[in-house]
Amino acid sequence: MAKSNSELDNIAEPRLAPYGDGAIYLEYETLAYNASVNKAVLNLAARLRESGNWVDVVSGYNSLIAVFNPHKMTLDTAAGALEEELARVKKIAARKPKTIDVPVYYGGEFGPDMETLIKSSGLSEDEIVKSHSEENYHVCIMGFVPGFTFLSEAPKALHHPRLEKPRLSVPSGSIGIAGWQTGIYGLSSPGGWQIIGRTPLKIFDAKREPAFLWEAGDQLRFIPQAGPFPNEVEIQTPFPKGGQL
Amino acid sequence: MIKILNGGTQTTLQDAGRQGYRHLGIPSSGAADKLSYALSNYLVGNPWDTPALECTLGGLHLRFTRDTVIGLAGAEMWAQINGQNLTNFTSVPVKAGDILTFSFARQGVRSYLAVAGGFSGQVDFGSLSTYIPAALGGFEGRALRTGDELPLSEPLGERRKIPRGLVPYLSSHVILRARPAPEFEKLTLESRRHLFVSAYTATPDTNRMGSRLRGNKIELIEPLSMTSSPLLPGTLQLPPQGQPILALIDGHCTGGYARCLQIIRADLWQLGQVGPGTRVSFRRCFLGEDELALARRNEFYAGLMPGFSF
Repeated sequence: MAKSNSELDNIAEPRLAPYGDGAIYLEYETLAYNASVNKAVLNLAARLRESGNWVDVVSGYNSLIAVFNPHKMTLDTAAGALEEELARVKKIAARKPKTIDVPVYYGGEFGPDMETLIKSSGLSEDEIVKSHSEENYHVCIMGFVPGFTFLSEAPKALHHPRLEKPRLSVPSGSIGIAGWQTGIYGLSSPGGWQIIGRTPLKIFDAKREPAFLWEAGDQLRFIPQAGPFPNEVEIQTPFPKGGQL
Repeated sequence: MIKILNGGTQTTLQDAGRQGYRHLGIPSSGAADKLSYALSNYLVGNPWDTPALECTLGGLHLRFTRDTVIGLAGAEMWAQINGQNLTNFTSVPVKAGDILTFSFARQGVRSYLAVAGGFSGQVDFGSLSTYIPAALGGFEGRALRTGDELPLSEPLGERRKIPRGLVPYLSSHVILRARPAPEFEKLTLESRRHLFVSAYTATPDTNRMGSRLRGNKIELIEPLSMTSSPLLPGTLQLPPQGQPILALIDGHCTGGYARCLQIIRADLWQLGQVGPGTRVSFRRCFLGEDELALARRNEFYAGLMPGFSF
C-alpha cells in the first residue's frame, strides 16, 4: 500500500492560497504538461471528495479548488485540513486507472481541420491518424461542460494553436487539438479546437448509469474506424480492460 | 396547475443548486440570485430551498387552474394579477382562472415566483435546477414555453411578511466585494487599480453562464500561457483582448484565461441581478473583512430562514 509517490520528489511543494472566501486553491508550478503533477492533483482531489468534508473539489492539470461549507470551516481551518490531506496523500498510491477503447472516425467531414494539420505538421493524413491513435492518453480533466474530456499531451508533431475564430458549434464527440492538448467535446458546444475526428460514443448521458463513460485518471486509446459513421454506439462493456472499480 | 401562456425571455425552474459535481463539468446551477429566491419561498411559508420559477428580464404570462398563494421577489417587473398591480417582495392569494403577467425588469433582471407547497420537476444529480446546455433538471431541462403545464402541490405553511430592513436593495449599479484570484499578480499595476476604481458595464453577452463586461482595458504584464484551470461562479476572467468576463451560476467549471478576482460569498447573490447594461464595480475586500461580512449577512437572515446561507 505504502508505495511512495517518488516521481513527485523532484517537484516543488504546491502553493496554497484562499480562493475568495469560500474555497482553498492549490497549484503546482509547472511550465509544461507534467504527468506526475496531474496524477498528484487527481489523487488529492479524489481523497478530498472521499473525505466528505468539502462541498466541491475541482481540479485542472496542475491545480485544484476545494470549496468548503462556511458553517463547518473557516479559511484557516480549511487550509489546515487541505495541508494535512496533502501530507497524507503522498504516501498513498493512486487508484489504478481503467483503460477504455474509443472508436474514432478521422478526417473527412468529421475532421474539418485535418487539412490544417497536414500542412503544419508535414505529415500525411495516415501518419497523423497513426501518430494520434498510437498514444495512450490520460483523462486529465472532465469539464468545462459535462462530458468534455481534456487529455494528456498529444504527439509533438500534432501540436497546433486553436482556431483564431472559434466555431459557433462543434458537434458532440468531436476530437480536437489545442496547443499541446488533445480532447473530446462531450456536448455540442462552441469551440476553438482544431477538429481532426469524431467518436460516436456518447460520453455523457444523464439518463444512463453511469452517466459518464470515464472519469479523470482513466486512460483512453483511440481506435481508428473505417466505413459509415454509426448513429450511436453503445459501448459494450464500459470498463473493458485493466483496473478495478 | 399552472399553464404557461408565454414563457417570456427565459423562465426556468430552479432550486438551491446541485453540489459536488463540478469536477465532472456539471456546474451548480440553481437560482442565480439565491437571496431573492429564498425570500420568495419564505413569503409563501415554504422552506427556503423549495423549487421556484426564475423569470429573466420579463414577459412571463401564466394562468392558475386552482387556488393557491404566490410569493414574488427579486427584480421589479411590474407584475399584475388580472391587470391589478402586485407589490414586489410580498405574497398574495390567487384564484383558479387568475392570470399573472410580468412586464419588463426595471431594477435587477431576475424575478422569483414561488407557490405555496412548491413546484415539482425533473431531478438530475440531486437537484431540480434547470441547466439548459445539458438539458438537466427542471421542466425537460429547458426554459418554459407556451402551453407547458406545471403541477402544483398542497400548500405547506402560512403566508408571511418580510420584516422591514430585510428586503434586499436591487440596483442597476451592482457593487461586488472581491478578493484577488490566482493570476491577479500577473496584471499590470495600472490594471489592478482600474479593476477597483472604474465601473464596468455588462454587455448583451450576458446569461446564466457568464457576463462579458466592457470598460477600461485590463492588461497582463506579459502574455500568459495557461492550461485549463478550475474556476467558480464569481470568478472574473481575463481573455487576451483585455475585457473581463464574470462567471455566473451556470459558469464553466474550468477555463484557460487568467483569473483576476473572486467575488466574496456574501455578494454572490447579486450576480443574479446582472443583466445587459448593468454597471458593475468591484471593491477590494481584505483578509478577515470577507468572513465578517459573511457571518453578519448570514446572521441577518438566519432567524428568518433556518439553514439559509449565502
